[in-house]
Amino acid sequence: MLRYRETGELHKDFHGSMNAAVEYVGSRYGRDGLREVFRNTAQKVYRSIYENLKAGDWSELLEHWDYFMTREGADFAIEVTDGEAVMTVRRCPAVEHLRKLGMTPSECFCDQTVLLNEAWCEGTPFEAVTEITGEGRCVQKIRKRSTLNIQRSTLNAQGCGT
Amino acid sequence: MIPSDQFVRFYNEVFKFLDAKGGGALEAYYRTVSEQQERHCLALFKAEGLAGMKAYWDRIAVEENCDMTCTLHADRLEIVMRRCPSLGKAMDNDAGAFERYCDHCPGWILPLLAKAGCRCDYDIIDRTLPQCRLTICPNDPQRASRIRVSGL
Repeated sequence: MLRYRETGELHKDFHGSMNAAVEYVGSRYGRDGLREVFRNTAQKVYRSIYENLKAGDWSELLEHWDYFMTREGADFAIEVTDGEAVMTVRRCPAVEHLRKLGMTPSECFCDQTVLLNEAWCEGTPFEAVTEITGEGRCVQKIRKRSTLNIQRSTLNAQGCGT
Repeated sequence: MIPSDQFVRFYNEVFKFLDAKGGGALEAYYRTVSEQQERHCLALFKAEGLAGMKAYWDRIAVEENCDMTCTLHADRLEIVMRRCPSLGKAMDNDAGAFERYCDHCPGWILPLLAKAGCRCDYDIIDRTLPQCRLTICPNDPQRASRIRVSGL
């Protein structure tokens, strides 16, 4: 059961606002600043997803992915095995909308995915591996692990605010 | 990706983060947002005046699922927000709403309206209620824009 499940019209221009917000925070406060904001978002705003992950249950996260990527018109697929949930995004609706607005994605733009996944998995039996495979394309993996270790993420381009 | 439906809950966390930094960091952010919004609004507002503003906010009312009325008069545009989904979502939020969440709206709107040659009486009404009222008029050297929390 999703804690937040909006219906009705979409205001996709908020992806432009997101681009500006991450650029603003990233350029002034670095990746640590972004990490703090996304940690609060992942663990406090999405508290129910995070609490479920801490309990070893990824079902709300997978439902969140599926519901909102479908609602936004993404080209994506989710595959789940015993040890891993993988979302492959072939066309990201957020990047697509930025381009429609004539905007260039900030170097920090995909941190909303990378750092959110990282923070969701912090202190849980899961690890996040997010690979940006091209503009508007990525592979997001949530893996079960036996011991806590460091999150991993990879970016094709230089990271933001590093 | 943070869904566009849920951007405002992230925005709410950005406000908390910047407010904690102090030194006017949050107000500086509002000014930057206002400059960024010029891309979407300023040409329309300058070219079509109050009618252009009505067209912009009528679109926002639909896309953001607002319960809002924009009434164009000969000398002013009146906007009555009866259910603001932005504050509504910030409040329907396990992280809790930033206590001055409403301030971001006049924070970006007023500077942009000034550039379009207009002033605004912005009544937040109550920062815990998802309602507000705006009256936008052409600039008058005798009257400046103002922000108030009338409680009414």
